[in-house]
Amino acid sequence: MTYSIVQALLVGLWAAFCFAGQVWGTYTNRALFISFGIGLILGDLQTAVIFGATAELAFMGFGVGPGGSTPPNPLGPGVVGTIMAISIKNLTPNAALSLSYPFAILIPFVITFIFSVNSNNITWARKAIEEGKYRRFHFLANTTLIGFILFAFVFGFVATLSTNALQTFVEIIPKWLINGLSVAGGLLPAVGFALIISTMVKKEYIPALILGYICTAYLKIPVIGLAFAGAVLAFNNYYNAKKPSDHNDSGDGGNDGNSNEEGGIEDGI
Amino acid sequence: MASSREPVLNKKDYVNSILRSYVLQNGQNYGTMQGTGVLNSIFPQLRKIYKDDEKEFKRVAISNLEFYNTNPQPYPFVSSIMLAMYDSGQNEDDTRAIKFALMGPLAGIGDALSQFGLAPLFSSIFASLALQGMTWAPIPFILCLFGITFGVRILMGYLGWKVGTSIIDTLSDRMAAIATLASTIGLTVIAGLSVSFVKINLAWQYTQVIKGKQQVVSVQTILDKIMPFMLPILLTYFVYWLITKKKWTIYKIVLLLFVAGVLLSVLGVLK
Repeated sequence: MTYSIVQALLVGLWAAFCFAGQVWGTYTNRALFISFGIGLILGDLQTAVIFGATAELAFMGFGVGPGGSTPPNPLGPGVVGTIMAISIKNLTPNAALSLSYPFAILIPFVITFIFSVNSNNITWARKAIEEGKYRRFHFLANTTLIGFILFAFVFGFVATLSTNALQTFVEIIPKWLINGLSVAGGLLPAVGFALIISTMVKKEYIPALILGYICTAYLKIPVIGLAFAGAVLAFNNYYNAKKPSDHNDSGDGGNDGNSNEEGGIEDGI
Repeated sequence: MASSREPVLNKKDYVNSILRSYVLQNGQNYGTMQGTGVLNSIFPQLRKIYKDDEKEFKRVAISNLEFYNTNPQPYPFVSSIMLAMYDSGQNEDDTRAIKFALMGPLAGIGDALSQFGLAPLFSSIFASLALQGMTWAPIPFILCLFGITFGVRILMGYLGWKVGTSIIDTLSDRMAAIATLASTIGLTVIAGLSVSFVKINLAWQYTQVIKGKQQVVSVQTILDKIMPFMLPILLTYFVYWLITKKKWTIYKIVLLLFVAGVLLSVLGVLK
């Protein structure tokens, strides 16, 4: 399937807008949102959003990297994965996620490059102010944004026009590898979940983890219900934590993620 | 802290600087992070404050071109306080001290709330609604995230303008409580979703004679009876362990899962 230049331009603009959200802090650079626009532009919203949701969950924890590293970026799967999922028939969302993962890993290099090239801009900015060249200052203060926008535009544009190449590429991959990548795509969300849990979890949150497990595995509560169940626990904690005695218990929670399973077993029997 | 000048900024200027908080990271870099962004976010306001004295403007502007790194959502609190202090002619060293005193706590609170609280919460809710066939789920998803963080920015900017510096302790207490609430809800949802969205299915099966009949029994079914979603939990915990205890990088883990997925699929262990 091939797409028109206009569609490629629109995808480029959409990708640029979404990626800029990473700088602005507006949450547009999330796989779910990126895929939505691309689905509209390329005319298959359903497939796009299903893929986007799959990638969104896999990338949920990737807002920030631990220790200042730049984590894989949802723009890669959001753009390339969505295009693959739409244009290649019989490609499962998981397989599309696996196949587009290399792009998620490519993008942090681009970001690192932009941040590095730009790292001296304060010196130039200082000079611009001293000389009263305020227009130049405003340009300097927006260089990262400009870099992000230009890159994402080209990325989206090229990806849309290369669907034939992407398709040929996917077709020459043998069946066993596609199956394997599909299995791997099912495993990948574990990284996102583990990452987010590792940044959030403290001992006092373990009941929340167990509660979430019970609600899904045994009670099969839909996700909004899950949020309500969490709210019950949260407010219960909040009002009972007012007692001054037991509030200083905030360990790292490192060696007790285990209780997740234990709690499940207790409840299962 | 004696005031030595008549304030010139009005409500509109503060609202403008709150909206300008979105440019904070437009010049993000590895050298001084949001250094240029801080000045950019208060630039028109500073010009207004020092409109009769270009030299003074340049001096204050350049003094703000230094390292800064915080979370952009509660940042308007900082910019409003700074503007209020500059505008009333208070000690510039004090202004700078407060700017840097707020940097760390606001980054922590902001990250807890926006990146670890709100984003995963709405992300998991709306992604799973989308998977259930709600194709327009991305719209409420972005509206919730953008709307709430926009509200946070307005509120923080207002508080920064109104209360100055004295209330930051009680404020951060309250923000911490809100962040804890959000985290508890978020983790409940995340735990619930992680078990059902991480997909591992054993392909193993064997035939057994049950009540005189040959029956195919899959190992996965047995596992599910012992404890549903046992393998996804084990895998998630394993990755968690790799991250926290083994300090593996994400790239290494992703590579491992790729190799394991393909290999175990080829060997007929997983399907």
